[in-house]
Order: sequence, then C-alpha cells, then structure tokens
Amino acid sequence: MDPTTAKLTLIAPEMVLCFGAVVVAVLGLMQNASLRRSVPLISALFLALSVVACTWSYSTDAAESSGLLLPYLGSFAKPLIACIAILLVMIGGTAVDRRLEAAFDSGRVPFEAVRVLRGEFHAFMLLSVAGTMLIASATDLIWLFLALELSSLPSYVMVAVGRHARKAQEAGVKYFFLGAMSSAVFLYGFALLYGATGTLQCTEMAEVLSRQAAEGGISTLAIVGAVMAILGVSFKLAAVPMHFYAPDVYEGASGPVTAFLGFGPKVAGILALILLLSMLGWSGHAAVLNGQEVKLQGLPAPIAAMLWMMSVLTMTLGNIGALLQRNVKRMLGYSSIAHSGYLMMGLLAGPEAGLDAVLFYLVGYGVMNTVVLAVLCALERNGEEVETLEDIAGLRHRQPLLAWTLALAAASLVGLPPMIGFFGKIYLFTAVLEQGQTALVIIAAVNSAVSVFYYMQLVVLPMLAQSNPRSETVTAVQSPWPKFAAVIGGVSIIALAIFAQPVFEAAQRAFRAPSVVAASTDADASKVTHTITLDR
Amino acid sequence: MTELLATYDASSVNAALLTSSVLFGIGLVGFLSRRNMIVMFLCTELMFQGAALAMIAFGRVHGNPDGQTFVIFILTIAAAEAALALGLVVLLYRRRETLDSEAWSELKEC
Repeated sequence: MDPTTAKLTLIAPEMVLCFGAVVVAVLGLMQNASLRRSVPLISALFLALSVVACTWSYSTDAAESSGLLLPYLGSFAKPLIACIAILLVMIGGTAVDRRLEAAFDSGRVPFEAVRVLRGEFHAFMLLSVAGTMLIASATDLIWLFLALELSSLPSYVMVAVGRHARKAQEAGVKYFFLGAMSSAVFLYGFALLYGATGTLQCTEMAEVLSRQAAEGGISTLAIVGAVMAILGVSFKLAAVPMHFYAPDVYEGASGPVTAFLGFGPKVAGILALILLLSMLGWSGHAAVLNGQEVKLQGLPAPIAAMLWMMSVLTMTLGNIGALLQRNVKRMLGYSSIAHSGYLMMGLLAGPEAGLDAVLFYLVGYGVMNTVVLAVLCALERNGEEVETLEDIAGLRHRQPLLAWTLALAAASLVGLPPMIGFFGKIYLFTAVLEQGQTALVIIAAVNSAVSVFYYMQLVVLPMLAQSNPRSETVTAVQSPWPKFAAVIGGVSIIALAIFAQPVFEAAQRAFRAPSVVAASTDADASKVTHTITLDR
Repeated sequence: MTELLATYDASSVNAALLTSSVLFGIGLVGFLSRRNMIVMFLCTELMFQGAALAMIAFGRVHGNPDGQTFVIFILTIAAAEAALALGLVVLLYRRRETLDSEAWSELKEC
C-alpha cells in the first residue's frame, strides 16, 4: 500500500464522523419532530460506525506503510475516544434544547429552525471527536495544528450554547480567548521547530533532532520552539501554567459539556504531547553515527526539567484547589487538573513503559469522570442542574442506584483497589518508578492521599449524610439516558478492572514500532526503539 | 523555483524574524493587559500573524515551500477563529451592552 492510500485508510473513522456531522446538522433542522429527536441516536450510530471503521483500518497493513512516527497510536486512542463519546451522547443527547422542544410540543411556540440547537450541538461534538482522533494519525505539524484546532474550535461553541445561562456564555468566551491565545503560542513554537529543522514532517523532524542530539545537543532554537509548543498544548490538558481557566469553564458549561471537556481536550493534549515529545527523542531512541550506534540521552535536559516542574505543580495545585470547593463541577475541574499532573508524570517516564500506562490511565480517567458527571446530569432540582455538594447529600434515600454509582466512581478516582482507577495508578506509578523518578512518585503519592479528602465527600455525602431541605427537592430527570450512561460507566469501572491486563496489552501494542512488527513475539518488540541512520 | 528560494538575503530574513517576534510579543502583552474583548481578539490575531511571518522567513532560510504552505492553513484557521470570536462577542454584547471583559466575572473562586 502506498503511503497516501495508507494515510487515507487510517483516517477512515474521521471521515465517517465528518459525514455524520453533516447528516446530524441537517437532521437537527427538520420540521418533523421525530426526525429531530433521532439526532442523538444517529450521532451515537456514527460514533459506533467509526469504531468499526477503526478496527477495519488497523486490520489492513495501512499503519505499517503509512510512515507515521507512531503508526499504531490510533489503534488504541481512536476507539477509546469514540466509545467515551457514545457515553457522552447518552448523557447530553436529550439535555440540549429540552425546554424549546417541550414548547414546540405544547404548540405554544411555532417551529422555528433558527432557534433549534440540537443538530449543531451534536455535529460540533462529532467534529471535535474527529479532530481529536486526527491528532493520533498526524504526519506533520500542519496536520497536527489543524487537528488541534478542529478538536478545540467546536468545543468553544459547545460551551457557549450548551445552556441558556449567562455563566455558560461567560465560560465560552473565557475558554475561547484563552484557547486562541494558547494556539498562537504553540503555533509560534511550531514555527521555531520548523526553523531549527527545516522540515514539518514528524519523522524527518525526529531524524534531524536526533542527529543534532548525537552531534552535541539539540539547537537552542528547537528547544525554545519545543518549550512553546508544549506550553501551548498544555492548555488543552489544563496543566500549569495554562490551567486557570479549567474550574471556571467546568462550572459555567452545562453538565454534559463539562463531561466532554473533561475527556476530549485531555486526550487531544496528551496525544499531541506524545507526538511532540517523540520528535524530541525519548530515551528509547538511538542514532547511528559513523556506523556506531549512539544511545541518546532521552529528552533534552531543559524539556525534561520543565515537564517535571509542570507535572509537580499541576498535580499539587489541582489537588489543593479541589479541597476548597463546594461546587462539584468546579471540584471536578480542579481534579482534572490534578489528573493531568499524573498523566504528565507518565509522559516524563517515556516510551519504555510510561506511555502505555498513560493511555491506560486515560481509559480509567475518562470513564470515571464521565460517570460522576452522568450522575449529576441524571438529577435536577426545579429544572436546574444539580451542582453543589449540598444537593447530593442523602441521595441514597431517593436515588439509590445513582448514589451507589457516584460513590463507586469517586472511590475509583481516589484509586481504591478493586476498581480501574487503582490499576491506572499502579501501572503509572510503577512505570515512573522504573525510570528512577522516585521523588516524583513520592510527590504523586502524597497528592493522591490529599485527593482522598475531597473525593470522599462524593462517597460520604450521598451514602451516609442526612438529606437537607435543599437536597430533598432533587429529582431524577425525565430522560432515562443519563442514568443509563451512569450505570454502563459504573459497570465498566469494575469490568475494566477485571480485564485490566488485556486493555493494558492493547495500550502497549499502540506503541510498537513499524519495523519490528514481524518480530512481535520478542518481548522487547512492543517498545518503541527508533534507530535512525545518519548519512554523513 | 527552488533556486529562487535558496538564494536569500540574510539581513532581510533576520528583519522578518525580528518583526515576527515583535508582532508576537505585542500580541501577547496586549492580550494580557487589554480589557476590551475585540482588542483582545485582535491581539491573538497579531500573535497568529507573527507565527505566520516566522514560518515564511524560515521557509526562505531552508529553501523549501513547507513554511509558506503552513501559512495558507494558518490564514484559514485565523478566519474561522475570527468568525467564532465575533459571534461570541455579539452574543455577550446583547446580554450586557458592554465589551469590557471585567463586566463578566460571575465565575470565580468563592
């Protein structure tokens, strides 16, 4: 298969989603109410179809002949994104336009296509998911830039239109302006990387940079470029110093959009960072200089130091911030910052063992975060969203199933043993420990201990606390879907823990190098070992 | 074409790179210090154009068209962002009749 066909084959899932976005956008404007109502179902179908397309495209030899830097990254990341996105559609599908649809039904208001948002909302969501998937198969910096923008631009709109509240619009504008600023920062970083290497192709850039590293150090221009690119991309992760928007935006956006923001941009940021850091040369790289193999030092020292600092600050500030919150969504905003810190720790550990642990951690984090927000979205108080800790006090007396699910997800976020969160942390911490980063693991362990205090509120309040007058008015929403999504998520928190080993092995396969596929029986073959020949 | 690209004047490239970094710097400082939302948006556009200019200058240095190709995509994205920004700003203006970003501070640490 020639490289162009191979690349087109690899983006089959994204093509399915883009087509789906068009279909959904048109269906959402139909005058026929039942067609309009089918929008969430159709977008879930397209997401499921993209998982099928994904399995198909990676079952061909496309990945091998595509010439990507990390050809199999998408084989794990893309189905993961699509599966969580199906859960997100279940949570948010019926929430958008709920009052408007009710008004149309009652005949009080005549149908006006201009006022309907459901189609656009789902179309934007599919486009954003497609953008996130595209990052996994990026071949050059142009592609990476466009994919990052495709994943973020629709999410700005989703925040602003997700609900009719001033808070949502404020959050949308905040998110948009800071997002635009951060994309300008990583764009300038890309320009400097291009200036230092003379190419935009990921594979060629990795080659040039490892040659520079073998010959006495990567040029300052490339380092500055990489620093700017990493800082810019860290906005998507909500990592320090680009973290301050997260609590505000999480609080302002509607529940389903918050669930989306907790997962989509995070995966996008992690995938982009994995790609950028692979170009800079992780410890797995080696270069052949004058016929001799030179083992490279790994990440350049300034980059490694920066990642170390960012990781520590991110997890610490996130956990301390979360301790002070009374609003659950705001608390989750801070907790997502803290989880970014853990993920960056895995990035620092490098491809030898760290990256598969990072991907595995993302699975767990995605499911747990989605479940907590699904529970919140399944509840309402006088037609308003349930947001504060008071609202969920004594939930067990009214909604036992939801209370149990919430407690389960929160316990898993802490990292208690029989759940997926535990395995995520174990894999991640051992991977970092193997790389000799003992100090980092100790800091992370202390942080996990701190996080127990605020996550336990999500266990104790719904299960053990007495109801208060405020929480007694909390009822379940009419639509059964958010509850259904919460239960599916809750079951998978346990199920994924039982099948942790196969999932982890799938994550490992995402990082095998194309050249060693034939020898995949060898235990080391699953590790990234780029050997780059230098012509002199 | 490649010959034309390969012969470049070092001083003009340096000037272009200097201009690009100044554009980026002005944009960043303006973004952080201004409160008017339209001016803030213009500042992010300045940062984008700074990056675009750097791309062109580096393309000249390396004598390949990659940088210039990138610029076309940057312009497209900048246009998409402009459409989005103005839409959002109009939405907010209708609610509050002001463009001052300080007027929007419901979401903060309590």
